[in-house]
Amino acid sequence: MAKKIRLAYTAAALIPLTVLAAACGSSSPTPSSSSSTSSTASSSGKTISETGSTLLFPLFGAWQTAYSAADTSVTITSGATGSGTGIADAANGLVNIGASDAYLSSSDMSQYPGLVNIPLTVAALDVNYNVTGVKKPLNLNGTVLAQIYTGKITMWNDSAIAKLNPGVSLPAEKIVTMHRADSSGSTFLFTSYLNAQDPSAWASSDIGTTITWPSAPGALAETGSGGMLTACGSTKGCIAYLGISYLTKAQAAGLGTASLADKSGKFEAPTTKTINSALSSFPAAPASGAESLINSSAGYPIINYEYAIVKKSQPSAAEAAAVKKFLSWVLTTGNSSTYLSAVGFESMPASTQTVAKNLVSSISG
Amino acid sequence: MAASVPTAQPDGGAGFPPLRRPGGALRAIIRNGSVIRWLGLAGAVVPVLMLAFVLVTLILKSIPALRYSGWHFFTGTTWNFGAQYGTPVTSDGLTHLPGEAFGALPAILGTLATSAIALIIAVPVSIGAALAIVERLPRRVASVVGGLLELLAGIPSVLIGLWGALTFGPFIAHDISPVIIKILPFLGSTAGSGQGLLTSGLILAVMIIPIIASTTRDLIRGVPLLPREGAIALGMSDAETARRVTLPWVGSGIIGAIVLGLGRALGETIAVAMTCGVALGTLPTNLYGSMITIAANIVNNLDTAITDKMDVSSFAALALMLMVITLAANVAARLLVRRVSGTALPVGRGL
Repeated sequence: MAKKIRLAYTAAALIPLTVLAAACGSSSPTPSSSSSTSSTASSSGKTISETGSTLLFPLFGAWQTAYSAADTSVTITSGATGSGTGIADAANGLVNIGASDAYLSSSDMSQYPGLVNIPLTVAALDVNYNVTGVKKPLNLNGTVLAQIYTGKITMWNDSAIAKLNPGVSLPAEKIVTMHRADSSGSTFLFTSYLNAQDPSAWASSDIGTTITWPSAPGALAETGSGGMLTACGSTKGCIAYLGISYLTKAQAAGLGTASLADKSGKFEAPTTKTINSALSSFPAAPASGAESLINSSAGYPIINYEYAIVKKSQPSAAEAAAVKKFLSWVLTTGNSSTYLSAVGFESMPASTQTVAKNLVSSISG
Repeated sequence: MAASVPTAQPDGGAGFPPLRRPGGALRAIIRNGSVIRWLGLAGAVVPVLMLAFVLVTLILKSIPALRYSGWHFFTGTTWNFGAQYGTPVTSDGLTHLPGEAFGALPAILGTLATSAIALIIAVPVSIGAALAIVERLPRRVASVVGGLLELLAGIPSVLIGLWGALTFGPFIAHDISPVIIKILPFLGSTAGSGQGLLTSGLILAVMIIPIIASTTRDLIRGVPLLPREGAIALGMSDAETARRVTLPWVGSGIIGAIVLGLGRALGETIAVAMTCGVALGTLPTNLYGSMITIAANIVNNLDTAITDKMDVSSFAALALMLMVITLAANVAARLLVRRVSGTALPVGRGL
C-alpha cells in the first residue's frame, strides 16, 4: 500500500512536467505531432477552429454567425490573435483555418510545407489624420509619407505637403506620427506602400509587420487599431494608418482620411469604386493565390487580399469536408455585400474566386 | 492538510458513523508520515524541475539565435526581424531571413533602466509610507491608507498600463518633463511624446510601491518597543529613532522587500509594453524618449516572430537574458542581506 501511495505521488509530481513537455513538443511541426493534432482539432468534423488576423476577425464573426444558422451541424470557433499566430497555429495543426492579412512568404512555405493561402476577400488600408481646420481629404503620396515618418517633414504646413494640396490652408501644427506598437498586417501594408512608391525614401529593409521605426520627434507607438484610433482622435496633428473597417469610426472621431497617390501619381480616396478599379488594374491572381496589391497603376493604392491559411492535409476526411464546405460558402454567399459592406471590404474579382475555389478543392483528409 | 481528513475512502456501508471507519492501512500510512514525506518531496522537487525545464528549453531554443548573432547579441543595438518576404539565406549552416539582426543591448539596458528608475522612486516613498502608517498616522487613518496600498497592489497591470498610456504619459510629456528639463537640463532636452523611459519607470514605481511598502510596514510593526523606547530615552528625535533603530533592525527584511519589488519591475510586461514606446534598437539614453525592454519586445512582436524559427529563437535568447538578470538580482540581494543582517542589531554598534 505504501508503495502504491508513493507511486501515486510520484505520478502526481510528474504530471505537470509531462504536460509541459507535451506542450513544448507539439510546437515543432514534426511528423509525430499529428497525434497531438487529433486531440486539439476535432476529428469528428463537427468543429471548425480559426485564429489569426484581427482585421478579418469582425467579418469572420459575421460569417460564423450566418453559417452556423445555415448549417447547424457545425460549430465554428474563432480568435483574434494576429496573423502570425494564425499562420503558426494552422501550420502546427492547432486550428483548421489561420487568418492572415498577408500571403505566405517563401520562408513560411519552406518552414511549413503543405500550407495553402486561400484569398477570401479584399481589404484596404486608410491613412488618417487629425489636423486642425482641415476636414477635406488631404492628398498624400509615398514620398511625403516616408519623409513624415522619418522625421524629415515635421510640420503640417510644410511646403512638400502644401504642394500636393493646392488651395488647402494648412495650419502650422506639429506632426505626431503614429505607428503600431504591436505586430500588425497594417504596418506591413503601409510600409510596403511607402517602399513601392519611393524606394529611395523608404528602404525595402523597413517593410514588415514589425519594423524598427525611424526616430521622428514625438512619434507615438499605439497598441491595436483601436488604440491607434483613440490616440489619434485625442492628439492634434497626428497621422495614423488604419484598416478600412475602422473608416466609419475614424470619421466619427473627427479624423480626416487621406487620398493617396497611385503609381501614376493620381490621388484616390478609399471607396468601393477606387478599390475595385485598383483590383482590375492587377493581373489575375496566380494559382498559388499569393498576390501583392500595393501601389496599383490606377485606383486606391493600398489594398490586400485577406487569406485563409489552411493545411492541405486535414486530420480527417470529415474535417476536410467541413472546412471545404465552409470555405466554399465564404467564397460564394459570404462574399456578398451583406457581410462585406459593414466592414468596408470588397468581394474578389471572378478570376481570383476561381483560383480560391481551386485551392479549396486541394484540401483533403 | 490531508492528514486531518482521514475519511478519504468512499463510504460504502451506511449505518455506522464514519468516525472510526477508515481503518488500518491508510491511517497507518498517514500516521507514520510517509504521505507527508512524499508530498513534501514532490512539493520540493516539482518547482525545481519546472525551473530546470524552462531553463533547458530556453537554452536549447536560443542556441540558433546566439550562434547567428554571436557576441553581437549582447553588444549590438540593431534589432530586425528580417525581410519576411525575402528568400531565406544560409550562412554558417544557419538558415535565416535576409537582414535579420538581433542586438539585445537596448532591451537589456532598457529593462535595467526602467527598473532602476522605479526603485529610485519607490524605495524612499515605500519606506516613508510604511513608517508613517506604523508610527505617525492615527490608527484609523493608517488602516485606511494601508488598505488602499493593498488595493493598489491588486490593480491588474493592464489597467495601470492603460492609465499610463492614455492619461499619465501625456501628463508627463506636457506638465512634468518641461519642469524637469528646466531644473535638470542634463537629463535630456526634449519633452518627447509621453511614451518612454520616464513614463515606464514611474508606472513601474506605482506598481512596486505597494509591494515594498506593505512588506516594510509589517516588518516595522514587528520591531520591539523596547529599543525604540530606549532611543527616545536617550533623547533621540522620531526621525533619529527611525533612522538609527527601527530601520536598521529590519534592514535585511527591507532589502528582501526591495528585491521582491525589483523582480516585479524587471519582469513586468504589459504595463511597460503600453508605455515604453516600443522603439526597437533605441538605447535608453534620453529620459523622455521611446525605448524598449526585453518583455515589451517579446509581448509586442511575438506575432511577427512566431512564423520564423530564427526569430522565435531570438526571443528565447531574450527570455533567457531576462531570467539571468532576475536571477542575478536575486543572488546579489541574498549576498547583500547576508552582509546587512550581521549588523542589523544596533546593539553595541555605538551611535
